[in-house]
Amino acid sequence: MLYRLLKSVRLGIALILVITALSLLSTLVPQGRERTYYQERYPPALYTVIMTIGFTTYFSSLLFVIPVLLFTLNLGICTVDRMVRQARKKADRRYGPDIVHVALLVLAAGGLVTALARRESDFVMAPGEEVAVTPRSTIRLRSFEYLTYSSGMPRAWISTVDVMRDGALETSAFPIRVNHPLRVDGVSVYQFTWENRSTFRFRDRTGAETTVPVGGIFEDRDSLWYFADAVVDGGVWKALLQQYRGRKLISTRTLAVAESLGGYTLLGVTQKLVTGLRVVRDPGFALVIVGVVLLGAGLALTFIQNRRESTVSP
Amino acid sequence: MMQVFATTALVLIAASAAVQTVFLLIRGETRDPVSHWALLAACVLLFAVTVERSILIRFPAVTNMYESLVFFSAVICLAGFALRLFLKSAASRFILPGVTFVALALLSISSSPLVPREIQPPIPALQSLWLVLHVTLAFIGEAFFVVSVAAAVVFLAARREETRAAADRIAYSSVAAGYPIFTVGALIFGAVWAEVAWGTWWSWDPKETWSLVTWLVYTACLHTRLVKRLRGTISAVLAIVGFASTIFTFFGVNFLLSSLHGYG
Repeated sequence: MLYRLLKSVRLGIALILVITALSLLSTLVPQGRERTYYQERYPPALYTVIMTIGFTTYFSSLLFVIPVLLFTLNLGICTVDRMVRQARKKADRRYGPDIVHVALLVLAAGGLVTALARRESDFVMAPGEEVAVTPRSTIRLRSFEYLTYSSGMPRAWISTVDVMRDGALETSAFPIRVNHPLRVDGVSVYQFTWENRSTFRFRDRTGAETTVPVGGIFEDRDSLWYFADAVVDGGVWKALLQQYRGRKLISTRTLAVAESLGGYTLLGVTQKLVTGLRVVRDPGFALVIVGVVLLGAGLALTFIQNRRESTVSP
Repeated sequence: MMQVFATTALVLIAASAAVQTVFLLIRGETRDPVSHWALLAACVLLFAVTVERSILIRFPAVTNMYESLVFFSAVICLAGFALRLFLKSAASRFILPGVTFVALALLSISSSPLVPREIQPPIPALQSLWLVLHVTLAFIGEAFFVVSVAAAVVFLAARREETRAAADRIAYSSVAAGYPIFTVGALIFGAVWAEVAWGTWWSWDPKETWSLVTWLVYTACLHTRLVKRLRGTISAVLAIVGFASTIFTFFGVNFLLSSLHGYG
């Protein structure tokens, strides 16, 4: 009885309709925001319903996962059943739809592996810096370029890297761009973002020079000065400083070149473009590729067979 | 030159729609001799617009809504021309005006202030062959869906059994032809592009969700017919729902919902 239900095409179509309807509704509710976002925008009753059924993270909620698992089970049983019937046939065998169904199962498996095991990490690099992307592989940034069109719109962000494996140079000067990731040792490295890294050069009371990056601090009697950012004020770069006493923010001020603060004189502000890269390890990658190829092949075969039959039939 | 081409194409499609309507209402069974040639001419002009913009931006011009609408209208015109040339059934006389009106509506929207026409080279995320395959194949698949929805409407509206049967057959054949192209273009190549650009196959963005919904509706449409042997009204209704979903995916998501696909 249960097996008959699970291999029913009617169940498959019903599940498609359920997944479709709920997915549509989910697009009306912005996903993955803070609880307060929904609290402020929806009436209390609707807010309670949305939060209770997990509609704010619909695609990882049971409301989505259970119908999709049921549909995958239904599709698997239907596929095996159909393939057994096809094998018994002497003529008029149509393998295209079977390959499409198997491809969808492989894609579902790939999606599951990806959902459970995909890992990503982001990091920022300046030229000359190195980052280990796997236990055996390291990338060293040679240069980072930010190219623009004459209109000022971004044209390309290019991080040129050397790849070292077990300490030996494996690939030299590989350009990582958007749409051109580096694939190495089972991970992919993507051009993800960029930023301006500012550093401040100071001379202290003794006449010695020192540099401080954004995020750096220096002590001045009972206060702590925090380098919050570099800002352009009146056409010149200045350091944006926050004064703390304990954990309490006391004041905020800017400091221009040649100005002094607590015995420190700002000598210069240096701007350097740094690249933001994302490393992704996705164990589901191979399965998804196999699924995609099978899906393409199955659709092509179905299409060709349909064409042949419609041409042959009167 | 591009503006002249686009405007001339709009006039040609409008004239084609007018001639088809007049012949349908007044001349009964007689087919007009020119409207499909007007569609072909409009298609050539619109492809010329695409080519000229592509040369200017040094990339296939399918990277914003205006360019997408021009390309989509061109493919629909070509589908209309092919429909008239290769299908001699009486139903195709009723279906072609529907196809032509959709092309006219889309091209009219491209001329509206809602759709900016500035020529801008693609930002880094759009500089991908996968994007070009994704967009072009998705629209070619959707052009078949335009034929299917026009045929579905004729099926539901027609009284003569012969016309209804022919319309039903054309609606099904169009979905069967468009479905694999749409699947490969919209879903497979779209996912591959997302993986190559951002390292994720699928991010449940509203546009992706609506594309999947469109695909699911057409999947249901094919399965109700091929497996459950349900023809006629249910197929026609699903073809109409599928097309409504296609149009919402294109316009609704861009204008009403927040999406990563805001550029086109």
